[in-house]
Amino acid sequence: MGHKQLVVWAIAAVVVIGVGVLLFSPAGGGAQDVSPERSAELVAEGVRVIDVRTPGEYEMSHIERAENVPMNMLAHESMEWDRDEPVLVYCTTGARSSDAIRYLADQGFTDVYHLAAGIIAYQGAIVSGADEVEIAEMPEDVVAGDGPVLYVFSTDW
Amino acid sequence: MKPVVDRLEQEYEDTVTFKVYDVDKSQEGADLMRSYGAQYVPTFVFVSSDGAEAGRLVGEVAESEMRSKLDALR
Repeated sequence: MGHKQLVVWAIAAVVVIGVGVLLFSPAGGGAQDVSPERSAELVAEGVRVIDVRTPGEYEMSHIERAENVPMNMLAHESMEWDRDEPVLVYCTTGARSSDAIRYLADQGFTDVYHLAAGIIAYQGAIVSGADEVEIAEMPEDVVAGDGPVLYVFSTDW
Repeated sequence: MKPVVDRLEQEYEDTVTFKVYDVDKSQEGADLMRSYGAQYVPTFVFVSSDGAEAGRLVGEVAESEMRSKLDALR
């Protein structure tokens, strides 16, 4: 086999391997869970941050620079996004955002990061609406109740 | 979480008072939430008969965790 033939075969092999890699790589982009520490690094690096909770939850507190895109708006809003731009997604504990990252990956987003433990585990800067409001006085019936009480603070279930 | 809370409220109706607030719609709930220094929803604050906070849970928590905290209040 001459030198030219060898080169042709080498090029053919590279092309075949390349096509194979493209064909068999997972379709629909990629999403990965990241730790709260890594999430804080990504925020510091300027990665786009998406908060999929409700507007009320977002107003209470959110990660700095986060955009609020509630779950029911995600399909519509994300249509315009660059699918190759890295994006970090979170909710309170990671339950809702699990669905969000699956959706984005299915839509072909290639670089989706998931704060899997949720904002409650996040150690970076949090913007809190409550900072601007004085802590309210504890109501009388809370201080001296008639029996055990469970307070449930929620938004739209 | 709502079905879980509804079920537990019925089950514990004789021993624990459930006060459920939609903090987007209830100013009283929003104020109370701030009083407790809670930042996220859902937050569950368990208060014993003497008014002291006995514990709290945040987020989509397991029913078993809720039961454990409620039983400790009895």
